[in-house]
Order: sequence, then structure tokens, then C-alpha cells
Amino acid sequence: MTEKNQRLLQIPQGTEIIYLEEAFKHQQAVSQINTLFTSWGYLPVETPLFDFFDIYQELLSNKVQDVYRLVDREGDLLMLRSDITLFLAKQMGIMLSRADLPKRVYYSGAILRHQNREDISKNEFFQTGIELIGKSGAEADLEVLTLLVRTFEALNVKPVVHIGSRDLINTLLSAYPDDFTASVFTAVKKRDFPSLKNLLEGNVSSEKIPFFMHLLQFIGTSEEFRNMLKKYSYKPSEIEMEKIEYLLSLLDTLEKLGMGQYFRIDMSETGNQSYYTGIIFQGYLEGTDSAVVSGGRYDSLLEHFGFDTPSVGFSILLRKVEEHLGSKFTLPENTRIKEKDFATAFRKAEKIRKEGGIAIL
Amino acid sequence: MTLTMALPKGRLLDNVKNLFASKGMDFSFDNRKLVAYDSSNTLKIFLVKNSDLPTYVNHGIAGLGICGSDVLYENSYDFFKLLTFDFGGTSMCIAGKKGEKLDMSEKKLSIATKFTHFTRDYYHKRGIPVEIVKLNGSVELAPVLGLTRYIVDLVETGSTLKANNLEVFEKLEDIKVHLIANPSYYKLNYKAINTFVERIT
Repeated sequence: MTEKNQRLLQIPQGTEIIYLEEAFKHQQAVSQINTLFTSWGYLPVETPLFDFFDIYQELLSNKVQDVYRLVDREGDLLMLRSDITLFLAKQMGIMLSRADLPKRVYYSGAILRHQNREDISKNEFFQTGIELIGKSGAEADLEVLTLLVRTFEALNVKPVVHIGSRDLINTLLSAYPDDFTASVFTAVKKRDFPSLKNLLEGNVSSEKIPFFMHLLQFIGTSEEFRNMLKKYSYKPSEIEMEKIEYLLSLLDTLEKLGMGQYFRIDMSETGNQSYYTGIIFQGYLEGTDSAVVSGGRYDSLLEHFGFDTPSVGFSILLRKVEEHLGSKFTLPENTRIKEKDFATAFRKAEKIRKEGGIAIL
Repeated sequence: MTLTMALPKGRLLDNVKNLFASKGMDFSFDNRKLVAYDSSNTLKIFLVKNSDLPTYVNHGIAGLGICGSDVLYENSYDFFKLLTFDFGGTSMCIAGKKGEKLDMSEKKLSIATKFTHFTRDYYHKRGIPVEIVKLNGSVELAPVLGLTRYIVDLVETGSTLKANNLEVFEKLEDIKVHLIANPSYYKLNYKAINTFVERIT
């Protein structure tokens, strides 16, 4: 092997090539989803591939290291698109005016994230999703959750979506200092409940602790959630109860629509991002190594970019899902046309193509 | 259902074997094999190198794993920490030649260690400059041969240190053994995993 060939065969960690049948499947999936989003009144948005790093730094929190950064000719620090949601929020902040609201947008595109040295390809390279901007309340949340279910159906996959309420957790913890709530979030996120218990014991009144513990550990159906609430002597405050009832009402509607099997209440879904304010969810699919869908309500994200309006949405790491797509997305059989003359072959091929088949001359 | 679990080769394995056996889940690896099922078919167990364990769990190849906080610290993966065991505890210590002491007046501490992330973060947080040399084993040799003045390493009984004429200068952190889970695997199988956790506690 020549030295040049050897060099050509080396690929930087984290790059991905999709080609032929696999690329066909990928494009089929994107096109199915785009058609669905369009039929719900969502319009496409394309975001830039890079932007100034500093405006996003605060929002990236612990993800800063995953971001590819570069310096432009003027010496400004840029970042490559690592999460379309963030770039979209800035674009929306610039583009939208009050009169436009609510706005429904969808996106699909490549993202770049630095891959851990030991961590070969996590397939986090393609993100597709929607945002419903300028609408708060149950109708907007339900629109996004039901559209998510329809998206799964279009892709022919059956993930389970764990849905929590940042709103409820923020309310529960509102009376406590910031460093304490930060430690609580960390423990809950890791499901490290022995540490959580130690934390609570020093800071929260003892009659609240069993309620807090069970609430934050809870995973299950809305019925199981109601049963859990009945068990404790601690009565949630009116405002806490309001947040609980809100979450349950969403689940009730989803169940009524026959979509209950896709969802579970899970209070440990608190999200990495500091900007979540309402419902928050992640979707898990058998056979994948991490969540394939994430989303929720972030009513203060756009404010960061100078336009204060509520927003709710989801995004799918499509390449992770694609490994599990059924035959619906594979390339159909093709027919090879062999005739004596080109004109006959051409006509024969056209006939097959008209009927939806693939004909190769 | 059968849960998948990675176990580390080495000192923890006997502890885990005894614990699981006492809960009706005997297992053993025949004939240098690295995969085994327990007697109650609750677990499919993979035997892996200690420092590779987080990689297997992160990729979901094994949904669960048993691992010390020292190894977890060196990898930055997000795992669920479902349980802390009372066996296998040890300490992360800084040590050096017997009779010497930690000399903070030096312009930097020169330290040989396997645990480079832990050591860097520990001293950076305290504003102490350090020079770190990464070694993969027999760390005790570093002060003896003059590679670095100090080592940061796990100390259980201290007998290896003693045999090389070294001693602990300071304990930096308690190291505990945890049951970890791949978050996605846990969320998909939380009922079976919770039952398993209750069984072994």
C-alpha cells in the first residue's frame, strides 16, 4: 500500500460517511418526516453551520467540550453547529416579530460534536425536529407530544418517552438556595438516591422527605403516579398540586387518544440544559445506547437571544433511529431492461417507472 | 428477563461472587471463558478489564456494571449510580519515599499516577500546581527510581508501599464501589433492574 493510499484511509474520529442504500434509507426517513411536519403546518428553517461561540457559551454549560471551535480571520471565536435548537433560537429571535406568533418550524440537518477519544461514533450527527414558538399551555404541549407519536409511527419505531416536569421540580425547590438545588439536580440526574437522601436530610423538613424521595424516583404510568401521591401524609402545596395536575392532565389526554403506551411519568428527567422551564422528556429505543429523542418547553431560551416568547419542541437524533427502521425504508427491487434497441428499452423502462418501480437501462 | 452486566477482573470479583451467591445467583467462568449466566438466569455477565468497564456500559453492550469510583472518575461518561456497595472500599492517596513529606514549597508537585484526571482536578481545585506523569502499573517504582517524587494511587492495606519503602503522606479521597447503569438501558428496563437492586440490598 502506498503512503498516499494509507493517508486516504485514515479518517478523523467522529466523521461519518453515508452512502448508497444506507443514504437512500436516510433520505427516505428525512423525507417521510418532513412530509409529516408539513402536513401539521410546520415550515422548514435552515440555520447557519457556524456562529459566534460566546453567545452560546452560557447555554452549553457542561457541553462546551463537545463543541468544535475555530477562530475566524478577525480573531473571533466561532463554533460549529452542535445543536440545531440553539442556532434556531437565535435565528428566531432575529427573524420573528410578535405579529408572526405562534410560529411552527421544523429543521433537519447535520450537527458536529466532538467525540470522546474512547468513544467511537455515537451517531449524533443528524438532528431533525420541530419547534412551536409563541404558544404556551396544554394545547401547545399536547400538539408537540402527539406530533412526536405520529413521527414515531411514520418511522415505524416504538420508543418509550419518559416525561418529567421541570416546572414542578423548580417549584418544589424554589425555597432552597441555588447550590443545594444544583446538588439535588445532579443526584436526581444520576439517580443516586442515597446521596439525594443525605442531601435532603440536612436541608428539607423531615415530613417532606419521603414525599420528595418517592416523587423524584418515580417512573411509571399516570395511574401509578396517582397511587404514589395518595400514600404520603405530606400534602403538596396548592401551587405544587397545580403543576402535578397539569402533568397528569397531559397524560390523561394522551391516553384518551390511544397514545398512552408511548409515555411514562419520570421525575428524574430534568434535562442537562438550564433553559428548560416546563415539561421535559427523552425517548428511549430498545437496542440504542442513549436517548434518541429529547425535548420540552423552554420559555426563557428565546429571551436569551433578545426575544421573549415561550417555545416547546423536540429533536430526534435520526441516525440512531435509522438502524431500527423496517423494510419500509429499504430500496425496492429494480428491473434491468435489456432490449435490442434503446427506444424499446426506454419505453419499457418508462412504463415500469410510471407504476412506481425502478428500471435501470 | 435477563439483564446484562459487566464485571471487572481482579480484586472485586470475589466480593461480587459471594454477594450474588448469597442471593441465589451463583456464577462462575469456566475454562477462561469471559461470558457466564448466573444460576437463576437473572444476569448475563461479561468479564472485562477494570478500566474498560465504563466503555462497555456506555455503549450499552452491558446495561449494568460494577465499578469503583476511581475508574468512573477517569471516564467522563454519564451513568446512573444505583447502589454503593460496602465491600471493595479503598482510598486514593498521595505517597512518596518514607521519611520525606509533602513539600508544598516546591514550585510544583511531580506525581506519577494511573489516575491523571483525578489527580489533575484534585490539585487544580486547590490551586496547587502539579506535573503529572501517566503510568499504567507498578506506580510505586516512580519515586524509587526517581521518575517523580510522589505517586497518587489506590491504597488498600499499604503493604505494596511498605515493601518499596514508601508511605502515605495524605489521603485524598475515599473510593467506593458502585452499581452503575447505562441511562437508556435503565429507563427501558427499570422494573427488572429495580427488582434486581432490591434483591441484592
